[in-house]
Amino acid sequence: MATIATAVASAHAPGVTGWFEKASPAAQQSVGDAFTALGDQIADARLDALLIIANDHIENYPPHDYPDFAVGVGARHSGPDEWFKPWLNVADYEMPGAPDIARTLFEQLAGDSLRVVSAETMKFDDNISVPVTMTGFATQKIPLIPIMQNCTVPPVPDHRASYAFGQRLGRVIREELPPGLRIGLYGSGGLSHEPGGPRYLSIDEEFDRWFLSLLADGDHEQVLRQATHERMEAAGAGGTAELLSWLVVMGAIGEHPCDVLCYEAVPDWRCGVGAVRWTL
Amino acid sequence: MALEHFSTYFDRDLATHRLVQDLKADRDARELLHRDEAAVLDAYDLLPAERAGIEQRDFRALYLLGVHPYSLAQLARLLYGTVEGAGASEASSALVESLLRDEPAPS
Repeated sequence: MATIATAVASAHAPGVTGWFEKASPAAQQSVGDAFTALGDQIADARLDALLIIANDHIENYPPHDYPDFAVGVGARHSGPDEWFKPWLNVADYEMPGAPDIARTLFEQLAGDSLRVVSAETMKFDDNISVPVTMTGFATQKIPLIPIMQNCTVPPVPDHRASYAFGQRLGRVIREELPPGLRIGLYGSGGLSHEPGGPRYLSIDEEFDRWFLSLLADGDHEQVLRQATHERMEAAGAGGTAELLSWLVVMGAIGEHPCDVLCYEAVPDWRCGVGAVRWTL
Repeated sequence: MALEHFSTYFDRDLATHRLVQDLKADRDARELLHRDEAAVLDAYDLLPAERAGIEQRDFRALYLLGVHPYSLAQLARLLYGTVEGAGASEASSALVESLLRDEPAPS
């Protein structure tokens, strides 16, 4: 059986790469150190592939025909998409994919109540570009498998559906992938923000700190009871629910302790920025 | 009137969604948008109110018609420009100002 060798999550707010210096020096230090710690953990895990689960942001699919999850099965992945370059201010990156692993994941995950598709090529905005840049993963040459998630186009697979998808993902990794493989999981998105909505310039710091403390407690049933999709939407419509990608990771690994590495509410970033890692 | 959650109004079939996706992928079309906006909009089957909302930068009207907020934010950046190194940029400020235009003052 394959092993889930590391599991982490972080925000992917574009301000973290695009206008990092708008934060105080202390906030820059805290967030920079957290991403460095995630990068070290990924490097030390000797992974055969890292799965990054992230909101698609209506980038690869039109809203009238929107899948719940899309697995990137290509041999190479590159970014960021051209239009996002001046906004994100990250170096271009090209990373190896893991087509065999990705196809097995896709074939085993497709066909239940959720709509799961696959794609050879995908466009990436902040969803993949911020984490791979800030952790240094973009240059580590570890194979990447992007999994794009619908966190924002109604009807969104909610907290329990996302967690259940994660449970199936965990089972497929452990039972269907070749023995000895080491897989990493990275939930990318959140925390509170409302892109394009009336609270676009606001952060719900109280929700964010509450959510992170709930995760640190490690009781997943409590997380699912309290940190509902509805509660996420109340803390910033359309954006905060990217935390559903964190729930996918939690479903895959099961209950484990979680360390909160940072949290900063920088007004100019327009998004609560935090990062966690689970002890497996 | 306070705006409800976007899903109250969301209309996945509005042509604005396709317009925004196409513009993101096509540099020539983006340049044309700034030279001759009407020529770009003519190529899409926009509702009259949808087209007026774009032409008048009336993001509140587009939100109420059912354009997804992500597409609204990107439309604002396509129309106002993406400012490198900016936080609360002209695009996001214009968007929020429009959305909150008729909101009651906070008590």
